[in-house]
Amino acid sequence: MTTQVSTTTRWARFRDSYLLYSFKRTWSAQLCLAIFLCLVLAAFMAPWLAPTNPYDLRQIDILDSELPPFWIEGAVEHYTLGTDAQGRDLLSIILYGTRVSLVIGFGAVILQAILGVTFGLLAGYLGGRVDAILMRLADIQLSFSTLMVAIVVGAVVKATLGSSFYSQYAVLMLILIIGLAEWPQYARTVRASVLAEKSKEYVDAARVMGLGSRRIMFRHVLPNTLSPVFVISTVQIANAIISEAALSFLGLGMPETHPSLGSLIKSGFDYIQSGSWWITLIPGAVLVVLVLVINLLGDWLRDVMNPRLYKG
Amino acid sequence: MIAFLTKRLMHAILVMLVISVIAFAIQDNLGDPIQQMVGQSVPESEREALRERLGLNDPFHVQYLRFAGNAIQGDFGYSYFYREPALDVIARHLPATLELVFGATLIIVLLSVPIGVYSAIKPRSPLSRFFMGASIVGISVPVFLTAIVLIQIFAIGMKVTLFPESTAWGSWLNATLSTEGGMPSFGRGQDLVHVVGYWDSNLFSAGGLQHLVLPSIALASIMLPLFIRLIRAEMLEVLQSEYVKFARAKGISSWRIYFVHALKNTMLPVITVGGVQIGTMVAYTILTETVFQWPGMGLMFLDAINRADIPLIVAYLMIVGVIFVVTNTIVDLIYGLVNPTVKLTGKPA
Amino acid sequence: MTFNKTLLASLVGATMTGAALLPMTANAETLRIGYSADPETLDIHEQLSGGMLRFSHLSFDPLVRWTKDFQFEPRLATSWEQVDDTTLRMTLRDDVTFHSGNTFTAEDVVWTIERLKESPDYKAIFEPIASAEAIDDTTVEITTHEPYPILLNLATYIFPMDSEFYSGTTADGDDKAEIVKSGNSFASRNVSGTGPFIVTERRQGVRVDFERFDDYWDTESPGNVDNIVLTPISENASRVAALLSGGVDFIDHVPPNDLERVREADGVNLVEIPGTRIIGFQLNEERIEAFQDPRVRLAVAYAINQEGIAQRLMRGFATPAAQFSPKGYSGHNPELTPRYDVDRALELMAEAGYEDGFEVNMIAPNNRYVNDAQIAQAVANMLARINIDVNLRTMPLAQYWPEYDTRQSDIAMIGWHADTEDSANFFQYLSACINEETGAGQYNYGSYCNEELDALVATADTETDPEKRQEMLREAERMLYEDAGYIPLHWQNLAYAARDGVDAEPILNALDFPYLGDLVIEDAN
Repeated sequence: MTTQVSTTTRWARFRDSYLLYSFKRTWSAQLCLAIFLCLVLAAFMAPWLAPTNPYDLRQIDILDSELPPFWIEGAVEHYTLGTDAQGRDLLSIILYGTRVSLVIGFGAVILQAILGVTFGLLAGYLGGRVDAILMRLADIQLSFSTLMVAIVVGAVVKATLGSSFYSQYAVLMLILIIGLAEWPQYARTVRASVLAEKSKEYVDAARVMGLGSRRIMFRHVLPNTLSPVFVISTVQIANAIISEAALSFLGLGMPETHPSLGSLIKSGFDYIQSGSWWITLIPGAVLVVLVLVINLLGDWLRDVMNPRLYKG
Repeated sequence: MIAFLTKRLMHAILVMLVISVIAFAIQDNLGDPIQQMVGQSVPESEREALRERLGLNDPFHVQYLRFAGNAIQGDFGYSYFYREPALDVIARHLPATLELVFGATLIIVLLSVPIGVYSAIKPRSPLSRFFMGASIVGISVPVFLTAIVLIQIFAIGMKVTLFPESTAWGSWLNATLSTEGGMPSFGRGQDLVHVVGYWDSNLFSAGGLQHLVLPSIALASIMLPLFIRLIRAEMLEVLQSEYVKFARAKGISSWRIYFVHALKNTMLPVITVGGVQIGTMVAYTILTETVFQWPGMGLMFLDAINRADIPLIVAYLMIVGVIFVVTNTIVDLIYGLVNPTVKLTGKPA
Repeated sequence: MTFNKTLLASLVGATMTGAALLPMTANAETLRIGYSADPETLDIHEQLSGGMLRFSHLSFDPLVRWTKDFQFEPRLATSWEQVDDTTLRMTLRDDVTFHSGNTFTAEDVVWTIERLKESPDYKAIFEPIASAEAIDDTTVEITTHEPYPILLNLATYIFPMDSEFYSGTTADGDDKAEIVKSGNSFASRNVSGTGPFIVTERRQGVRVDFERFDDYWDTESPGNVDNIVLTPISENASRVAALLSGGVDFIDHVPPNDLERVREADGVNLVEIPGTRIIGFQLNEERIEAFQDPRVRLAVAYAINQEGIAQRLMRGFATPAAQFSPKGYSGHNPELTPRYDVDRALELMAEAGYEDGFEVNMIAPNNRYVNDAQIAQAVANMLARINIDVNLRTMPLAQYWPEYDTRQSDIAMIGWHADTEDSANFFQYLSACINEETGAGQYNYGSYCNEELDALVATADTETDPEKRQEMLREAERMLYEDAGYIPLHWQNLAYAARDGVDAEPILNALDFPYLGDLVIEDAN
């Protein structure tokens, strides 16, 4: 049991685990992880890697706008991937944009997980009215799509805090919106595993020993429900990144001065008819690769850990 | 059954109530509708008079109660922009969205069932692996990006010069990969056939269908991979079951087992998920319609947000709420009919 | 019920749509128009907007109208003379009938002017007019409170309405003449004008059908269009696609990103016209002390590359500006040209003691003017070069104006079209010292105030000698230029496109009101 003090170190347990065993034998998982880490590193090293700082407006010249990437005639050497309609270096702005997308994706999932796990534990462990209310809430929210909920939550947040506040804290706001829109996924998963765990003997034992329910919930039940949480987290990160991109694409997300991948795609879309496809399609390709490797990793994790996931 | 329906009805009313309050609460900061209605050089006193006349100065609860009272009678007020009852505006945009959803659903059903079944029957074949790989790529591409790529390839056209033009194979590859473009990618086109009432259809003319193709594919792309994977997973499970093994032992032809016995049991969860997903597809139409300028409810909603057309926003949210609740209820009912072991009572599962 | 088919037809017509409706009958020329907006109502005094004025030119006629080069062309008024400083006598045509069959007389003009003075949207513009009087059936005298040099400009807004038709009460007891904003008044559903086209059918936001008025007075007009179908297509790309696919014959507002596509497409012609709407920025002196220093304002003016924006972001679809008045307006001063010079701007900043710059926030709409958000961002980038760090927020129009009204940001974008087509209007709304009582400087976001300039404009506005007036207004433009009281960017161009055979060029003008009554369609396909 995880609660026992183990004589082996955590690292040793990880080394001997099936997870690592499987990872070593799945080249696709290794490749995905490698690409993912490269993207994350590149994004967070953006200030050092990017040829220009796209947030430094002094470096931008409107006369450099819409230059094509290097393999197309008319390209200018130091703009490897070309420029956007404002004359910003596309490579730099993509690196910075990926960072924004990742921060929002991870941030939103952490928030979802905190909310979802807490509510899921409460619902599963306490049952009764708490369970009924929370799950009804989750039902209602799930019956709308994330995007719909995010648009409405976004409008409410904007309405209560004012649009100037909103754009100033756009990253936090988007984390909040996407976090609030998707917590039921976690809540349902955790609740299902809690219900399964609850009937097990160790819980009864703990209760007989006189431990309080909070202690039982967080110290004993929670650790045993974490593997499904871990698995859906990967998919949720991918979803959160897509949701953010969609909101930004609709003009309800990141402003174009601090673009995420989604707002880059949006700003480029206006120019696709006039032939400047790279402004929209290169950030688009980066977004797809990022989401794809996360999804593939998630798939592999699910196969390996095979947790009880909430179905349907 | 009656208990179930009552429960559902209560649920629906609760949902509608929540939506209406939220929709109503956000209105103030969506913008000032007066600005849209008067010329630029109109003095403030005239604006104030108009604001007063439209009741925009009343306290929140007064405005809400007035709205709710009218809404119960089917009156969602006049759209500020269209100057028509909001419901009429929605009714006019509804057919475009429904046809788009219909087109996408058709594509999903026609492709996901054969592909899903095939990859369940032959899970190790290269083709199945390809389908599974393609489906995870499909999940990873956001719908608006699919739409943009479709526009680039089929509407604008793409001239590929990646391979050396001087060699025979290079120029052949370039020519093969390049596309002419020319597919319509904006709006519903002019060849609409009037059916009845507000319903002008894209479905009954060649030109209309052409306009429907790219948006439908884009919208289908978001759900198709999910359905392929779902059908495959369910089918695999069914094929492991005792009764399939028994049928096989009895010597029933595999074709009959797959498509009559197994598929029937596969479809149950697929319909459940499918119903819910078609409801959420209405939301994805916002993205699809924005990219293709498809004049349906989604585009109308986004325009309404930008124009601060409050009655229209509220009415849209309510209607979409109704659509979600109704599809969910129907799905539950079907589930209950197909699988009698599910009890349609109001108890939480 | 000879002409008023609107209501009935709209009931029948509600079930029809698109080009499917239009069987090409033998010799009748039908023009299918795709405009970005349809008229909001049929009451021409309910709202002052481009869409409404276009409609006014279809179903009504003005007393006089503008030519392409900003001269006056007689329409319902054949001649005019200044009786004294404040009175203008106009002679009217005697051969004009309304769509209803009523004869047009001077009484209709008087009635219309009085109604304009009641209209919320027009009353401010018509405030200078004290009264109008019918001397006889074909003579009308218009009196102003003060000498008013641009009375003829106002006359382009006087589209005489059928006073007999619009008088009395409806079955519901409502006054037929009443103007109800966004309401359901008699005038918003029924039309009787003198114009070349009769409304036969109308569905708000869907389509408006027109038919040529058989008894139209202007028999000299070359126009040969018999029917018009106006379909609003608000989305730019869809409108262009509709023209290219042959769904419509004529569209307005071709977006900059599609100009190339339309120019190169076979079978369609692009007509570009320099517009009169000035796009620019206002610097808020109330909030940023530095902007009270003319050197800092000048530095901003020097830092902005108008040519670059016009060429790149606007794709040549704008005329770079350094003053309010576009070419053709009396106040246009040809000596004032854009002055992009970053070094000079930096010098000025240093002189003013702001070489280290400062931080400001800027607001701009993102769906009002052509490429507005992108322009604002480009300007933000340019200001960064002189160390003014801009924090830009863009928002949809519906949120922009309330935000603009609060004056809580440091720089704001505004586009302005002079309703009077006269230079003084720009100054009165955008740069005059704010005066709550008179309404002066209603859109002076920056609270810029130069009393000398205001006095000059005020004098010009009562000067009836056009030569002297022009000189004063040009001087006013120069003063504003040297003081950088407004940061102009460009005049947004207008672009229309028509299929081959539709000879649109002659009937288009910088005012954005095509004179479709005179449109010639050359072929019969």
